Amino acid sequence: MSEARPATTTPVPAEFRRAPAPAACGAAPATAAVARELWLAAHFPQLPLEALLPMAGGARAAGLELHERRPAAEAALLDRLARWALQFTPAVSIEPPAALVAEVRGSLGLFGGAMALCRRAQAGLRAAGLRANVALAPTPRGALWLARAGIGIAAVRADAMPGLAARLPLACLAWPADVIGTLSALGIRNVADLARLPRDGFTRRFGPALQQELDEGLGRRRQPRRRHVVPERFDERLELPAETGSTAQLEPAAERLLAGLGAFLRARASGLSGLRVDLLHRERAPTRIRIGLTRPSGHEEHLRLLLRERLAQCRLPATVVALRFRSGVLLPLSLRDAGLFEQGRAADPEATARLLERLRARLGEDAVFGVCSVPEHRPERAWRIAEPGGTTPLPGHWPVSRPARPLWMLAEPQQLAGWDGVLVTGPERIETGWWDGHDVRRDYYVAMTRGGVRLWIFRERPPGQGWFLHGVFG
Amino acid sequence: MSATLAELLRHPALWRGAGIVDAPVTVPTGFRRLDERLPGGGWPRSRLIEMLVPAAGVGEIRLLMPALRALSAARTAAPRWIAWLGPPHLPYAPALADAGLDPAHTLVIRPQARLDLLWAMEQALRSSACAAVLGWAAAVGDQALRRLSLAAAEGQSIGFLLRPSCHRSEASPAALRLLLTAGEKGLDIEILKSLGGVPSRIDSLPIH
Repeated sequence: MSEARPATTTPVPAEFRRAPAPAACGAAPATAAVARELWLAAHFPQLPLEALLPMAGGARAAGLELHERRPAAEAALLDRLARWALQFTPAVSIEPPAALVAEVRGSLGLFGGAMALCRRAQAGLRAAGLRANVALAPTPRGALWLARAGIGIAAVRADAMPGLAARLPLACLAWPADVIGTLSALGIRNVADLARLPRDGFTRRFGPALQQELDEGLGRRRQPRRRHVVPERFDERLELPAETGSTAQLEPAAERLLAGLGAFLRARASGLSGLRVDLLHRERAPTRIRIGLTRPSGHEEHLRLLLRERLAQCRLPATVVALRFRSGVLLPLSLRDAGLFEQGRAADPEATARLLERLRARLGEDAVFGVCSVPEHRPERAWRIAEPGGTTPLPGHWPVSRPARPLWMLAEPQQLAGWDGVLVTGPERIETGWWDGHDVRRDYYVAMTRGGVRLWIFRERPPGQGWFLHGVFG
Repeated sequence: MSATLAELLRHPALWRGAGIVDAPVTVPTGFRRLDERLPGGGWPRSRLIEMLVPAAGVGEIRLLMPALRALSAARTAAPRWIAWLGPPHLPYAPALADAGLDPAHTLVIRPQARLDLLWAMEQALRSSACAAVLGWAAAVGDQALRRLSLAAAEGQSIGFLLRPSCHRSEASPAALRLLLTAGEKGLDIEILKSLGGVPSRIDSLPIH
């Protein structure tokens, strides 16, 4: 028997390392030796635990707790991670039970080289509270081996894998325990030893599948991968670490879901038309918050501000146990180039929509509106409230030569008592509307008060009830 | 005499307030007599302007109308809105159209609470979506005025704050403060404060 080998892999490196020469080169993969494909693998050694305690950031108990493993939660977490990884490349696939691989050769330029990309991936996963080992290699299985072994290096040359094989323990292959046991008994300690075995003998003894895996890992044979496809809608829920009755304490969880939503939108290159947030209670129907957007937006910061306003207004009928985010229809974002001669931030069509949404989130839908003209002779019907920015061109036959109208219109004509002003111009007779029962027969005058305020006042015809104030020329 | 005066003015110990601010970027008010008194020849852009009126309707909007028209018609790719915050009555769309303002670029915001109004005005100024923001408020604290000034600078928007004239003696960080009163033949304007200019007075400006 060979000496005892720890079942788990080598310790996790604290920081990502560059692969030793000559097996790798750094940020400038321009030489001919650089592989045509480069695969980033991320292995999550503690995934079962992390899937069980999604919000375990601060409050993990000191004592031993026993929980049952939840494979569904693990799969869901892996799915989320795959979505997150789509920000680096469209070619991401899930490697059950606890790893991802992604082809990143085409993204190196964008992210500033292999090292920078790996560091960024690792930092992102660490920020999400996950323990992850990241590695980069010219074959997907090779990268996976490196990640499982906890060897955090970026190997970019096409022939890098055979050189690294001596550092890969058998455990990183994730082969059945009896196979590993037999190989250990044969004195085989690492993948390099394995690669030196005669092929036909190995195939006869362990089957063609394992030989094929070995060939794929060492780059002797290509391994086709199925791409991870993102679903059409975002629908996720997150259990809170503890029930809470205060909306302020919902924010960390909402933050985490928003980050997931942001990654989802980036992966789909889409914007959101609306978001539904459910605050789930234990024995009640959920409290629903709907956030409507006037323009499709993928702006995470904007969504965060909107949600914060809405949460602050929300009255909780009971304690909240979980949050659920559901996206509305996704719409492709229209990207816009800034003009050469436009100055500063003046021309940002998104700014208007964002302003409207923020105002409405806090003040209510009805407190923010636009106005538009209606072709109608009765002054109180010659306008209406409209959606801001809506255009209603006036018909061409509308008389433009009518006397001036006051800028302020009173909601209802107000009877004037004890009126002592001066009539400036008038009368303008408006007599119409007999066909719909709201007929008006009035003589309008412009009048000036002692304080110098110009008013628009009228007298009913025939005269009787005195003067009414209808508008103020501001 | 003028040579003596010029020599005197060159004296290093003599400090003059008029030169400390660079000529501001402005939009013409549309009234020649007012433009002449304002530094840069118009309403300063990206600033907060306070207008104190004895009662709503003395002519404050007619005074602003030519500038609002120019701002709203400016050819930029994005709509530059005119926001009306907490107006005493509703702006009447046919009158806006008569004055040359596109009602489609009008945004009316009527918050319930005073604090909401100041918040909304700050948001509107800061967002860079509005060419001008007109807000009606009575009591506004010094800190809120400062916030509005900063928001106007950040969003490159002009903030017109309309307040009752009883607040005329309060200190304010606004770049320009005007006191309006309706006279016999027009609007009497007293420039209480003008950043980079001097206080002065214009009588009977015809604004009809």
